[in-house]
Amino acid sequence: MHELTEPPGREDFTPTYYDRPLLKAPHWDNWNVITYLFLGGIMGGLGLIQLLTHGDDASERRLKRTARMTSFLLAAANPAILTSHLGRPERFLNMLRIVKFKSPMSLGVWGLVFYSGAAGANVVRELANSGSLPRWMRFFAPRILTPVQALLGAFTAGYTGVLLSATANPFWSSGKRHIPAVSVASGLSSACALSTLLSVLGGNDRVTHKLERLEMVASATEFAILAHFEQHAGTYGAPFFTGARGKKLRTYTIQAGILAPMALNLIGLLPLPKPVDATRAVIASVLTLVGGYILRESLVEAGKLSVRDPRTAFVQPT
Amino acid sequence: MSDATGFFTDTTLCIGCKACEVACKQWNELPSDGFDFTGNSYDNTSELSGTTWRHVAFVEQMTVDQGGLHDRWLMSSDVCKHCTNAGCLEACPTGAIIRNEFDSVFIQPDICNGCGYCVASCPFGVVDVIERFDPEGVRYNLASLNEARREDNETALQGHGGVAGKCTLCYDRQKLGFVPACAKACPTESIQFGNVEQLRERARRRVETLTERGVQAQLYGADDVGGGVGPLNAFFLLTDRPEAYNLPAQPVLPSTRQPDGYAAAAVAVVGLAVAGWMIFRNA
Repeated sequence: MHELTEPPGREDFTPTYYDRPLLKAPHWDNWNVITYLFLGGIMGGLGLIQLLTHGDDASERRLKRTARMTSFLLAAANPAILTSHLGRPERFLNMLRIVKFKSPMSLGVWGLVFYSGAAGANVVRELANSGSLPRWMRFFAPRILTPVQALLGAFTAGYTGVLLSATANPFWSSGKRHIPAVSVASGLSSACALSTLLSVLGGNDRVTHKLERLEMVASATEFAILAHFEQHAGTYGAPFFTGARGKKLRTYTIQAGILAPMALNLIGLLPLPKPVDATRAVIASVLTLVGGYILRESLVEAGKLSVRDPRTAFVQPT
Repeated sequence: MSDATGFFTDTTLCIGCKACEVACKQWNELPSDGFDFTGNSYDNTSELSGTTWRHVAFVEQMTVDQGGLHDRWLMSSDVCKHCTNAGCLEACPTGAIIRNEFDSVFIQPDICNGCGYCVASCPFGVVDVIERFDPEGVRYNLASLNEARREDNETALQGHGGVAGKCTLCYDRQKLGFVPACAKACPTESIQFGNVEQLRERARRRVETLTERGVQAQLYGADDVGGGVGPLNAFFLLTDRPEAYNLPAQPVLPSTRQPDGYAAAAVAVVGLAVAGWMIFRNA
């Protein structure tokens, strides 16, 4: 269909329309969409942590409680953040009119709603166990909700990536596998970092070494996915990996947010004096969290940049 | 025969008068775009937007070789394609975007919550969110709503960010049995409205006629455009490659990437969960 010849002398030239963008970027200009995706990832990671921790070890028991409390707070905050993006509370409720399997945004909101339910029930269980609520209220939170929260969390973390990659955006769609995978890995590393931070600050530092080892695995995965993505994204990946945006990604996410905390966590395997070790853990955790946030910011902003070049939209990634 | 209606935009007949742009703005009560002089031929509209539902592109092509100066001037009135498989419709989390009884893709403005996901999901870059609503300015189109709902929605829109907007294929006019405003206003019948199957038939005959006259012409969107998008209810007759008119040569329906995305996320979840289980195995 497209074998029409060009005007003489222009056979090799792909015309553009005055270099005007072909595609449009969404108006996701504020902190709220980035924060929504960032917290969605952390909620997923916390879902796994509250599943993995043992109930019969005092230190892990406290971590489980912290993970559940935090995950519920984040699950309650995220609809509010989404509402701040939409403008009015009723607009969030419009999301709950229907369930649409073809729309990652629709499925994600439902995932968030059910996650809030499971996380809330698990918090009730914690409070009933500790005596803050009557013991019979444990009836509202059967044990099955522990793996259920983990599963819903996995979905919540993954969908934040699919939400971006299943669009017409040239950069986002070029990472149809990388962005969902890196969203999961980043969500877990950030959740480990947040849990470590809260545990150290709460004086529960016996459990942090397990968290740090899991964080190292998640960060290494994140690094590997980003490296592989850079190799394969080609011109579609330019807004993310090159220029000022690429420099920010390299500095804040890869160097400060992945490599530096991994090094600090490796140092943590050595026997260190307790105050030094606590300081090290806090620094590593904060760096990982900042790196995770900048990763989400880079993903969103690079997508908005990528629509500026119409040539990347003529032949769209399959 | 299906009841689907649509547009056949024959760009060989377009004279660039922009009557379609004006008629669309007037009928749908859309605010002006301001006066920006782009210097891009006679195109100062530049693109379709949430408040510009027809856009006339002006493509000036000039080359010099031994045979002398070759120049031509292509004009084309762009519009929402009303895709068979519409990315915006699939992406919409509220169900605001529907397919109506005329097989057109229609945004219900009272249900749209302005999330902007359809904007990222249109492979043709058509739909956009109207961010600023000018309370002094022209009223926003609420074609399918009665007067009371319309006032409610205007109040709601003011100061609360916008809703997504794009061509409705004049849903309200079609309900009354009228031809859409742009097609009605077009003085050369470059924009033809009617039953899509009949329009496709007419378009194919037009290509044959043009080919006989030595004009290189092709249809864009009369048949499946590929990538899962399917045929377009608003299709075009072009005399250059689609890129020259800022149309994608190979559009892709975004939802076709979802299985790969969910699978990749699942692999990452399983791998990291196993690692976590090994680390936390011993209390």
